[in-house]
Amino acid sequence: MDDKLNIVTTFLHNIIVYNIPLLYGTVGEITIEKSGSLNLGVEGTMAVGAIFGYILGCYANSMLVGILLAFLTAALCGLIFAVLTVTLQANQNITGLTITTFGLGVFFFVGNGVKAVSWPAMNNYPNIQNGFADLPIPGLSKIPVLGEVLFDHNILVYLGVVIALVMWWYLKYTRTGLRLRSVGENPAAADSVGINVRRYKYLHIMLGSGIMGIGGYYMGLNMNGSLSSSCWTNGYGWIAVALVIFANWSPAFAMVGTVVFGFFNTLRVSGPSLAGAFPETLGWLAGVPSQLYQALPFIITALVLIATSVKKSKHSGQPAALGLNYFREER
Amino acid sequence: MRVHIVKREDCPLLKKILLIVGAVALALVLGGLVLLAMGVNPLEYYFKMFTMGMVGNKIAYKAVENYLKILVPLILTALGLSLAFKMRFWNIGGEGQFIVGAIAATAVAFQVGPVLPTPVVLLLMCVAAMAAAGLLGLFVAALKVKFGTNETLLTLMLNYIALYFLTFLGETKADWNFFLNPDSARPTFASFASLVSFPRIMLGKFGLNICVIITVLLGVLVYVYLKRTKQGYEIAVVGDSMGTARYAGMKVSTIVLRTVFLSACLIGLAAAFKVGTAGILSTSFTDDVGWTGIIVAWLAKLSTVGIFLVSALIGVLQYGSTAAAATFASVDSSFADMLQGVILFLVLAADFFTRFRVVIAKKEVERHG
Amino acid sequence: MAEPYAVELRGITKTFGPVVANHNVNLNLRKGEILSLLGENGSGKTTLMNMLSGIYTPDSGTILVDGQPVTIASPKDAKRLGIGMVHQHFKLVDVFSAADNIWMGAQEAGVVLKKDRYQKIEEMAKKFGFDLDPRKQVCNMAVSEKQTLEIIKVLYYGAKVIILDEPTAVLTVQEIEKLFGVLRRMKEQGHSIIIITHKLNEVMEISDRVAILRKGEYITTVDTKDTNEQELTEWMVGHKIDLNIERPKMEKLKPLLEIRDLTIRSDEGNVAIDNVSFYIRGGEMLGVAGIAGCGQKELCEAIAGLRPIESGKMIHKGENIVGLSPKEILAKGISMSFIPEDRLGMGLAPSMSITDNMILKNYNDTKGPFVDRKAGREDAQRVIEELGVVTPSTETPVRRLSGGNVQKVLLGREIKAGPNVIVTAYPVRGLDIHSSYAIYNILNEQKKSGVGILFVGEDLDVMMALCDKILVLCHGKVMGVVHAHKTTKEELGLMMTGSLDLTHKYEDKPAGYAADTLFQEEGEEK
Repeated sequence: MDDKLNIVTTFLHNIIVYNIPLLYGTVGEITIEKSGSLNLGVEGTMAVGAIFGYILGCYANSMLVGILLAFLTAALCGLIFAVLTVTLQANQNITGLTITTFGLGVFFFVGNGVKAVSWPAMNNYPNIQNGFADLPIPGLSKIPVLGEVLFDHNILVYLGVVIALVMWWYLKYTRTGLRLRSVGENPAAADSVGINVRRYKYLHIMLGSGIMGIGGYYMGLNMNGSLSSSCWTNGYGWIAVALVIFANWSPAFAMVGTVVFGFFNTLRVSGPSLAGAFPETLGWLAGVPSQLYQALPFIITALVLIATSVKKSKHSGQPAALGLNYFREER
Repeated sequence: MRVHIVKREDCPLLKKILLIVGAVALALVLGGLVLLAMGVNPLEYYFKMFTMGMVGNKIAYKAVENYLKILVPLILTALGLSLAFKMRFWNIGGEGQFIVGAIAATAVAFQVGPVLPTPVVLLLMCVAAMAAAGLLGLFVAALKVKFGTNETLLTLMLNYIALYFLTFLGETKADWNFFLNPDSARPTFASFASLVSFPRIMLGKFGLNICVIITVLLGVLVYVYLKRTKQGYEIAVVGDSMGTARYAGMKVSTIVLRTVFLSACLIGLAAAFKVGTAGILSTSFTDDVGWTGIIVAWLAKLSTVGIFLVSALIGVLQYGSTAAAATFASVDSSFADMLQGVILFLVLAADFFTRFRVVIAKKEVERHG
Repeated sequence: MAEPYAVELRGITKTFGPVVANHNVNLNLRKGEILSLLGENGSGKTTLMNMLSGIYTPDSGTILVDGQPVTIASPKDAKRLGIGMVHQHFKLVDVFSAADNIWMGAQEAGVVLKKDRYQKIEEMAKKFGFDLDPRKQVCNMAVSEKQTLEIIKVLYYGAKVIILDEPTAVLTVQEIEKLFGVLRRMKEQGHSIIIITHKLNEVMEISDRVAILRKGEYITTVDTKDTNEQELTEWMVGHKIDLNIERPKMEKLKPLLEIRDLTIRSDEGNVAIDNVSFYIRGGEMLGVAGIAGCGQKELCEAIAGLRPIESGKMIHKGENIVGLSPKEILAKGISMSFIPEDRLGMGLAPSMSITDNMILKNYNDTKGPFVDRKAGREDAQRVIEELGVVTPSTETPVRRLSGGNVQKVLLGREIKAGPNVIVTAYPVRGLDIHSSYAIYNILNEQKKSGVGILFVGEDLDVMMALCDKILVLCHGKVMGVVHAHKTTKEELGLMMTGSLDLTHKYEDKPAGYAADTLFQEEGEEK
């Protein structure tokens, strides 16, 4: 019986471990979209954060350096996006897609370039290795099952949750958050009361991109540093874009969404072992094609999109000016 | 003195061209600096890239054949997307439509390939691919027309749903799954190249695939369709002012549905050409053509002629970098993606100066008009 | 005068591409006064005020606040200088509460949003004499509530100079009175107010002084008590309005278009046209007068088949056209042209050429799949020549033409189709006198050829001179139909504001029903 319990616990634990990058990506994208910009460059931005964060973090043998550089390099991608769409009024969809092309290009170029010389293996950098080790929260982690599932994780998991909570609070309960939302809803109104629309957009596009970058870094560490062309899990950035819709533009719901989407993601990997442990109740899991799990986040989001539009839902958190550039002298 | 930005309606064509050429040149210089830093002579690299390794190559015609293989789906996809974009319908579902089109074409190839004559099979493949992709587009358009569903995000989701469906077909061994190679223990896609494949016209050693000719013809057709036909006129009016289109008695919903269907059909046809030439599916066979197509259509400002030109350039970048990578082993082929990104960033930036005018405030303005 | 002006503008010029919106405008605002900024549509009032509020930057000229030259590069600068503007299209965030709409721009320190902001704002609103539910979301507010919120907002930010852009256009009579009460109270509290309007009665009622703009140029400023409506109108229009518009007399023809008991809802679901009946004869021009937004747009759209109706009949030559598609209505010879405020929104495709706009309504009449641009180009050439459109070529995109030429293109196309009913709304909106007369002549020519014309207009003088009869709308209801040569401006004004209802003048038949109708109800003997 213990074995079975272990399998369940591991499964639940893994939901969090493997899907925290989604949370980072989603919270980052929400931060950006709340300013009225639709950045489709999540995938590329996360990739840039991943490669620079990992390599430079290893070279410096410091996780803090890794986090910072992941954040900064990704924020630079955000800066490019902001310059092009906010100042130079370029189309947001095209710019976002280009960020993805560019970001993945940089990822492989730098990655393969470094690999050609010598790839830093995570095991050789004790500070990184230890920094990413699980950090049980005293007391709470002793709770049976729940303790291991929720309170026995590496520091970046906690950081992701903290960032999500802080962003939730920031958007909802601070005045800067209120102003940010006004920029995304009606930039002309925000402008007319003296809010610096451009500055808000720049800062939050960069902040959001930076948060995504940490998510990319997490992926690199979680793969034990085996970042390579075959290991880069294509699609996390896109799932994040979907998750934003699923979470109705709320960082708090993004946590719920991460668990829901993560559940399917993890089931893909753990399905067979669960089926083995509970042949009577969960045996059917073995027969479910893994691609269905991969597609489910997108299927669910598509359904959410359709359902909200059919219902003409008024409670949508989608910023009214999402995807539209603001030009003050528009006539 | 303060800088101040105003919209402009007219920008001389020459200035536009100069700006774009300047942007591309600047991007190449930036890329060149990266190459220099790696100890590679940028001139040699670019020469190899832009000539696609054909100079001094005995089998240069092969390079042209392969280059055209990249070009055909890209042009057709961008042409298709441009139809929808002209109406301000942001179909970014090129990937998904391309995939379902290819699956449909492949299914036809396997099912009727062995029994019917090749030309009929090829025709059926095209029709099936167009129908499958078209219906997927129609589905989104219908939701958009009826409920105002956000087409950008929905087509985005459908891209991945289609992709994982393709992966499912490619990785699931089962009796019903005729897409796979029955002789292989591991699931791999089966080839139908021996059954059917698009014919080539041999010009000496060089084989001109019939798809190339059809693509050029379709380009002319799309051009005429947009510029000369009533339906093309309707697309232009709907894209320019939906209110005016309604006012003129146009059935806007019908026009949107029809155009998005056609848009997706072209993408489906692109997929049929791609898979019908390769003779086999693969999970990465799209080469991101759905994404690149969006960028091509946009850079070309939705002009049909422009799409051919921009596709040709992007094709050179993509194919040329592979060719250059063969010579310059130290430069990864992903350099092209990066370079492409930088080129696009700078072109997007240059575009600003064609749409806006930067003026220095506090000068006397003469009155006219 | 020793005390500096609250605001002074010197030599302000602003252009948008080839269009000069303001040219060398001077304006001053005394402390504690209400200044009316008067001018026709398109005279540059809003543009000028947008430069005070930081939306636009002037190309040249100086702005002085309290006697000090200032640069207003953004709304933030304006706010800091104590200038607040209530825009015609409210700048509010729909999904925010009233309080948050104010709070988002408030100056007080404080990182965290506290619940007491609702109370603070409610109290502050009370202080200024407003009733405001601070928790109410903007999207649930009525128009007048939104306006009140906008006013409270600028007051909260400490504006000493308050600009209101056509605040009365969207209000009912009672609401206007209430607003004027508010403005007077604000004036007593020492605020300086600029109110943009083109309604003379309001100018006379509320303002201390009147500044007049015409075609983007400053004309003069006068004390309200020393002037009268006639004089103001002259300044506004430019010369004494002996309009001298021709009104050809036609013999009475059968009714062409009859509207019976028509009720239409607006996009927001309110009743926009309320049980309206009227008819137009061939060779007759019927004017429609009313304050902006009284259902004119909805009426036009309904006749053209663009808007479903709630109930009633629309009878064309004895046949009910309710439920027909825009195309079918077009085929019956009913032409509708509506010049919206931005002039390009409906009826024209701005990025497309004159030729392409010419064929908009008949591109589908030819056989085969191809568009016949040759005929379109000939039509375009003809319209350009006959109506004197100034354009480089027939292939110039319409958006590059100036306003008058755009409207000529639009009307030229409508007439070219040979309609028997022309519905035209604001055809001279923003045009100079010369172009306006050209348009009147075009319409008169049509009238002479037996076409029935519904002329939705703004300028009462024009309608009284041009139209045969005038129908007055007030909040979607018909206040009566009067003979243009018999009525007076006062009478029309009273009807427009709902103080005079002439619909029951004739008891013998239902108001607005034609006695000699061509329409027969089923089973009805005639």
